[in-house]
Amino acid sequence: MTQAATNNPGNSTSDLMVEMRGVNKWYGDFHVLRDIYLEVKRGERIVICGPSGSGKSTMIRCINHLEEHQKGEIVVGGVPLTQDVKRIEQIRRSVGMVFQHFNLFPHLTVLENCCIAPMWVQKKPRKEAEAMAMQYLERVRIAEQAKKYPGQLSGGQQQRVAIARSLCMHPDVMLFDEPTSALDPEMIKEVLDVMVELAEEGMTMLCVTHEMGFAKTVADRVIFMDQGQIIEENAPEPFFNNPQSERTQLFLSQILGH
Amino acid sequence: MIHNQTMIEQRPAPSSSVGAVAWLRTNLFNGPINTIFTLIGLYILYLLVVPTVQWAFINADWVGTTRDDCSREGACWVFINARLSQFIYGLYPSSEIWRANIVFAMFFSLIGWLAIPRLPFKRWVAIFALIVFPVISFVLLYGGYFDLPKVPTHRWGGLMLTLLLATVGMVGALPIGIVLALGRRSNMPIVKSFCVVFIEFWRGVPLITVLFMASVMLPLFLPSDMSVDRLVRALIGLTLFQSAYMAEVIRGGLQAIPKGQEEAAAALGMTYWKRMGLIILPQALKMMIPGIVNTFISLFKDTTLVMIIGLFDLLGIVQAALADSRWLGFSLEGYVFAAFMFWVFCFSMSRYSQYLERKLHTGHKR
Repeated sequence: MTQAATNNPGNSTSDLMVEMRGVNKWYGDFHVLRDIYLEVKRGERIVICGPSGSGKSTMIRCINHLEEHQKGEIVVGGVPLTQDVKRIEQIRRSVGMVFQHFNLFPHLTVLENCCIAPMWVQKKPRKEAEAMAMQYLERVRIAEQAKKYPGQLSGGQQQRVAIARSLCMHPDVMLFDEPTSALDPEMIKEVLDVMVELAEEGMTMLCVTHEMGFAKTVADRVIFMDQGQIIEENAPEPFFNNPQSERTQLFLSQILGH
Repeated sequence: MIHNQTMIEQRPAPSSSVGAVAWLRTNLFNGPINTIFTLIGLYILYLLVVPTVQWAFINADWVGTTRDDCSREGACWVFINARLSQFIYGLYPSSEIWRANIVFAMFFSLIGWLAIPRLPFKRWVAIFALIVFPVISFVLLYGGYFDLPKVPTHRWGGLMLTLLLATVGMVGALPIGIVLALGRRSNMPIVKSFCVVFIEFWRGVPLITVLFMASVMLPLFLPSDMSVDRLVRALIGLTLFQSAYMAEVIRGGLQAIPKGQEEAAAALGMTYWKRMGLIILPQALKMMIPGIVNTFISLFKDTTLVMIIGLFDLLGIVQAALADSRWLGFSLEGYVFAAFMFWVFCFSMSRYSQYLERKLHTGHKR
């Protein structure tokens, strides 16, 4: 945090975990993100929804620079995101990410998946890394599978391992990119349960998801995006009960309608 | 509606579908056409195998010292026997052959140690094999230290030279190939274009040309007081040539790794080299074992081309021996021997790679 403070002098936004100011991104000529302004406070839980292709994933992937933005400013934990590789890696160490397709490392066991970053990025001794990994695997209720390879697990189990793997880096923020979209229906709950617990422990979360139940239970704010813009932003209750924009109403009626 | 009150017990398959007779019936004799093919196949096999066995074993002559010891009804392995030391060591002075033998013994025991999974200290043995062993080998084979008389490289030859060329080629080509493959996928334009040009240049030139250039052209460009040993030039040429092929094989493997793998590694804060070394390459190399071994095998056989620049590898020395007036007319034995030696090494590599594939198959990709 001290380094962060020196990197960003005169900014009294220390409890802001993520700031996006006027972020724009293009894929070639296609304008994917248009003037995104977003502030996420420490401990805040945000759910982002919207039709496919609306830029939700792209937006959260910009936060840890898996996607590059062309215009605007992103500050994570007080550290402004620049082109500098060291800076990017510093930010990535403090930002956990869970992917739609889990992206576990198939050549490593569950335990190794969780240990590899603490050992090689944070230089923790193996013993310590393994003990911590077991603790997190315990928390996502999958410790008994620690010696298995990801391919031997079900989708829901894999996604819980992926969450544990991120937590092992002690991130300040967790990004969830449609964490349940690739799962069979009976496995969605086990992953959502873990996410709810995480939220209750006060983790700062940005979550792209269509699980509106999850949004209602844990979100402090729900953000609706369409065509690369944030259309509407509100607490869950007014968001669901009284959506302001027409597009939000249409979207909600489509996903809640059946 | 419930059909069964109890689960059906697991039962063995009917006896007519298991066992040797059943196998014969289902695979070789099911139906008249298949039976005819089987019989024709057996007949052809008979025509080929019987004379071969007669020539190579039954009528062959094994012991003796001169061509007169051969009855000429079958193979004259006496020839191979008499020339064996040359085939293995080339023109290495016979009083110094013990040095080559030590290197051979170390070479095969190191390979054995690394290949057999039960043996411990793999990491240290590998480090020894890659760093200490080459130095020891050089000192022993070349001499000039510790009162060992110098043996210039033009006296090296035979199997020793073949193994040397192949091993140095493989050990050199794999890492260079990896670096080139990564470079070719790099976002940095200069690195990328360098790798593309390098790979396409070496892939586009026949190995014979490379070797000719290394032996004829290179000295023209070097200052006259500087000379590079012919063997070293051949080694460099061979290694760079094969590394270009290796690079393309590995690039294929890298492309097969889903993008999400690198993203996940990046999201954990890994640097480029850690992402590659810990996540991407282990998966890509594992997937590419067949391709890599294929390249190794072709490299092993390509070493015979050094013959044309006057180095006597196994095939070269066999061919030279065929010209010996005391042993005229035994070229078949010579070539069969050379072919058999190459086959033994290539086949072992092929088998070991299949074993490795099975062993490393944690698979279950997602």
